[in-house]
Amino acid sequence: MFRRAQHLRDEARYKRAALVVEDALLQDPTSVVGHLLAASLHMVLRETGQARASFERVLALEPTQPRALLGLARVALEEGDAAACLELLTRALTRYPDFQEARALLEVARGLVATADAKRTVASNGAIHADRLRLPAESLEALFMRADATVLFAEPHGPRTNAVAGSAVKLATVATAMLAGAGLGPLRHAVIEGVADTTYLRADDAALLTVSFDRDLKSATAVEHLKRVWDRCRSEFA
Amino acid sequence: MSPAAVIARPALGRDLRDVLAELLKLQHIIGGLVVAPDGLVIAADLPREIQAEPLAALVATVGRELERRGPRLRRGAFPTAQFASVSGAAAFIGSTPVGFIVLLGGPRADYDTIRAALREAVGAVYRAWAG
Repeated sequence: MFRRAQHLRDEARYKRAALVVEDALLQDPTSVVGHLLAASLHMVLRETGQARASFERVLALEPTQPRALLGLARVALEEGDAAACLELLTRALTRYPDFQEARALLEVARGLVATADAKRTVASNGAIHADRLRLPAESLEALFMRADATVLFAEPHGPRTNAVAGSAVKLATVATAMLAGAGLGPLRHAVIEGVADTTYLRADDAALLTVSFDRDLKSATAVEHLKRVWDRCRSEFA
Repeated sequence: MSPAAVIARPALGRDLRDVLAELLKLQHIIGGLVVAPDGLVIAADLPREIQAEPLAALVATVGRELERRGPRLRRGAFPTAQFASVSGAAAFIGSTPVGFIVLLGGPRADYDTIRAALREAVGAVYRAWAG
């Protein structure tokens, strides 16, 4: 039955595969392969909590199972626990030093832990007025931060601003690693299309800017706006 | 899902390998891959010096981060995203229920054209795999 589930998974029929694995695990509840497949399918179906439970069952049966350690590390990273991610990846790599996927994510986790450590020692110098940066009228949201996620400017500023800044830095960190993995060099800018709006991101080693616009705004116009705001931010906080 | 439902799916967008192969025909695209959200490679066509598995692990992490944080880095789904490097080369990611489609573009790639093609492909995959 696990083989049938794997076949369904290979055909991207994930929900059907998950049902088959569930049935199979009732008959063979100590199957490492079964729990690992279940965990993988939960990840694919974006069921992170259930994936974590399945990975933990695998590790209860086989404490150094590398795929389960990697899977749990990815769950930890998704949930913002870079330190736990780092610990799990280190465990996997101690046992399996050639585990390339784990090594790729290890650099990301190290970077995020270092960022969090740096932030504790750097005090924010507070917000500045939007008119000094002359934000374009079309801007829906703008956020300028240090590379350690310390917010330097936010418009609008709200209770979730720091969390959004943390997400932006995390995204930039993982994207930088992805570009490196693809042999393309460090991240400089990004465009993230949403259903209703588009976020433009600009970054260098020291700072990161995100500006969101209505998605109907022409890309070339948005890029010009981003460049102008970036230049003003960089000179204002130089 | 019943076999009838599978047969009834629109053919376009059903086979992710075909979707990737079509996108790789775009000008200045140097490679691409399709990655399941758990980080496993579904299909890959990459330059020899790029290792698919470590890149896939990072792609899945970026993709999930975008899905979780969404537009304006806050919430919801994202159709496509583009990450450009200092050199102008860029990675383009499209999110579908089945996996993430990634294209690697050289410095001369036309970003808008590639994003539009990727958006169209993402839509086709959504329609093919709906339900």
